[in-house]
Amino acid sequence: MYKWLDERLDLSGLYQKVLRKAFPVHHSFFLGEITLFAFIVLVLTGVFLTLNYEPSIREVKLPDGRTVPAAYASVLYIDSLPFGAVIRSLHHWSAHVMIAAAFLHMLRILLSGAYKKPREINYLVGLALLGLAVVTAFTGYALPYDNYAVTATRIGYGIAASIPWVGGAIAEVMFGGEFPGSERSIPRLYSLHVLWLPLLLMALIGLHLAVMIKQKHTQPRYAERVAPGKILGVPMYPQQMVMMVILFALYVGIMTMIAGAFLAHPVEAFGPPTPTTPAVKPDWYFLWLYGLLQIIPASWQFQLFGATVGPEFIGGVLIPGILGIVALLLPFVDTRKDKMRYLELPSEHPVRTSAILALLVFFLMSTLAGYKIDFQQQGSLLGNNAVLWTLVLGGPLLTFFLAYTLMRIFYGKKEEEKAL
Amino acid sequence: MDEREIRLRKSKRRLFIKTAIGTGIGLSLVSAFYVGASLRPRKEVTPEKEPLKPGDILVYAQGGGEPKPIRLEDLKPGDPFVLAYPMDPKTKVVKSGEAKNTVLVARYPLEALSPEVAQHAAEGVVAYSAVCTHLGCIVSQWVAEKKAALCPCHGGVFDLAQGARVIFGPPPRPIPQLPLQVENGVLVAAGEFLGEVGVKAQASSRCRV
Repeated sequence: MYKWLDERLDLSGLYQKVLRKAFPVHHSFFLGEITLFAFIVLVLTGVFLTLNYEPSIREVKLPDGRTVPAAYASVLYIDSLPFGAVIRSLHHWSAHVMIAAAFLHMLRILLSGAYKKPREINYLVGLALLGLAVVTAFTGYALPYDNYAVTATRIGYGIAASIPWVGGAIAEVMFGGEFPGSERSIPRLYSLHVLWLPLLLMALIGLHLAVMIKQKHTQPRYAERVAPGKILGVPMYPQQMVMMVILFALYVGIMTMIAGAFLAHPVEAFGPPTPTTPAVKPDWYFLWLYGLLQIIPASWQFQLFGATVGPEFIGGVLIPGILGIVALLLPFVDTRKDKMRYLELPSEHPVRTSAILALLVFFLMSTLAGYKIDFQQQGSLLGNNAVLWTLVLGGPLLTFFLAYTLMRIFYGKKEEEKAL
Repeated sequence: MDEREIRLRKSKRRLFIKTAIGTGIGLSLVSAFYVGASLRPRKEVTPEKEPLKPGDILVYAQGGGEPKPIRLEDLKPGDPFVLAYPMDPKTKVVKSGEAKNTVLVARYPLEALSPEVAQHAAEGVVAYSAVCTHLGCIVSQWVAEKKAALCPCHGGVFDLAQGARVIFGPPPRPIPQLPLQVENGVLVAAGEFLGEVGVKAQASSRCRV
C-alpha cells in the first residue's frame, strides 16, 4: 500500500523534505504551538456554535414569557444543550489563551532578537496575526447580544467612528450601520467573526508556518555549544509530532476542565439589552486601552482640516496605532548584525530588554488605570488622574533605567571579559 | 538579453497586450468600488426609529409593559434621574429603536439651575440626551453627593444643573439639553436637542450616497 502510494505521490521525497525538518527543543518554543492549538480548538468549537446560533436581533418570546433578541435566546438555547455551555466556555477561554500565547510568543521573539534579518517577513506576519486575533475576538463580543455585549460593542463603534474624516464610513462598514440600532449589525459582525477573519487568520497562519519551515527555526543558544555550525533539533516526524500531539491533548484536556468548571460570559446574568448601560469592564486584553480612555481628559482635542481629533481617538486608535507602527518598524531600525542563526540572550542586549520590560510595565499600569472608577468610589488615592498618569508614564521610565542599570552591573562584566 | 527579447520588447504587439490587460484590470477595479459601496447598509427608518420631534411625550424607558408617560409630580428634586424615550403623541409609538433618542430627566430646585438651563427647563425639570459624547454609552448612574450623572463606561460625570458641564472624566463636550414643557401634567419635548447627540459624527458620515 505504502509502495503503491509512494510510486505515485513520491511520499519518501516529501518525508525527506518536510517531515525531517529539525525542530529545536526549548520550552519557550512551545508558545507558538499553543497559539495554534488554541486556534484549532476555536475553529472546532466555533463550528459547533454556528449550528445553533441565530445571528439576528428580531424579537422572540422565551418560554418564561420574556421578549428578547433572537441572538440572545439562541445563546441561552446553546447553554441548555448537553455540553453546550462547556463548548461555549471552551470557545471563550480558548480565545483568551490564543491572545495570551500569541503575545508571549511575540515577547519571546522580541527578547531573543529573532525578528531580525532574514526573519522580518515572518515577524510582520506574526504581528498581523496578533492584531487580527484581537479584532476577531472583538467581533465575537457582540454576538451573544446581552447587555454586556451591547455595551462593549457600542464602545468599539464609538472608537471606530471617532477616526477623523473616514471614521463614520469605517464604523458603518464594520458594524453594518449604526450600532446599536441597525438590524444589519449582528449579521455583519457574525459574518466577519465566523468567515472573513478566520479565513484571513488561516491564510496568514499557513504563510507563517511555510516561511518558518523555509527559513528554519532560530537555534537556541545551547546548539552553538553542542554542535557549532549545525542545525540542531528533533525531526518533525516522529519525535516532534509526538510532542505536539501530547501537548495538544494536554491543551484540550486542561481547557475543557476549566471550561467545565468556569462558565464563561454568563449571558443569563448579564441579561438582555436594557436602556441603561451596566458598569462593566472589557476582557483583560482590552483593559489597558480601557484604562487609557479613562485617564485621557476631555481637553485633549483639536481641529484638523475640518475634523475633530478627540480624546476617544487619541486613546482608542492613536496610542495603539503608534505602538503598532513602532513594532512594525523595529526589524528595519534594529539591524545590528549578530549571528543570525542563534537566539540572542536578553542579558546581552540591555537596552532592548529594558525597553521590553518598560513596555510591559506600561501595559500593567494602564490596566491599573482601567480600575479608576472603582478606586474613586473607594476614595483611594489611585482614583486621582495625576497619580495614574504618573504611574503610566513614570512606571515604564523607572523600569527602563532600573533594569538597564541592574543589567549593566550584573552582566556588563561578562561582556567585557568576552571582549578580551 | 538576447536579440529576440530585445525585438519583442520593442514590438507593438506586446505593448498592445500590456495596455489591454492594464485597462481591463483598471476598469474592473473601478467597478469593484461600486460593489464596495454596498458594504454600507441602507438606513431604513421604521416608526420606532424616527428621530425625536418637538411635541413628543416622554415615557419611562424601563419597566416594560404599557408605555407610561412621565408625570411632573413623579419627579422630586434630588431624586436620581430617570431614563425616557419619546413617544409619538398621535400614533403612540415609542421611539425606542434608536439609541440616540434616549433622554435622561431629573428635577432640581429652581434656584439650583443656571439661567441658560432654566430657560429650557419646566418647573425645575431638565432633560438631556442620555448618549455619552465620549463613546456613545448611556449615561445611566446617579452620583447622589454631586447631584450629577455618571457614564459607567469611562467615568465621565455631567453636572445636569449647569448645562451638563463635564466635571470629570474624558467626554469632549456636554450632553445636549432637550427643551421641555409640561402639558396636562405630562412632560413633553418642546424642541429638538440643543446640540449634536452622541459621538461627534465625522465629516464623511454626513455626505452619504
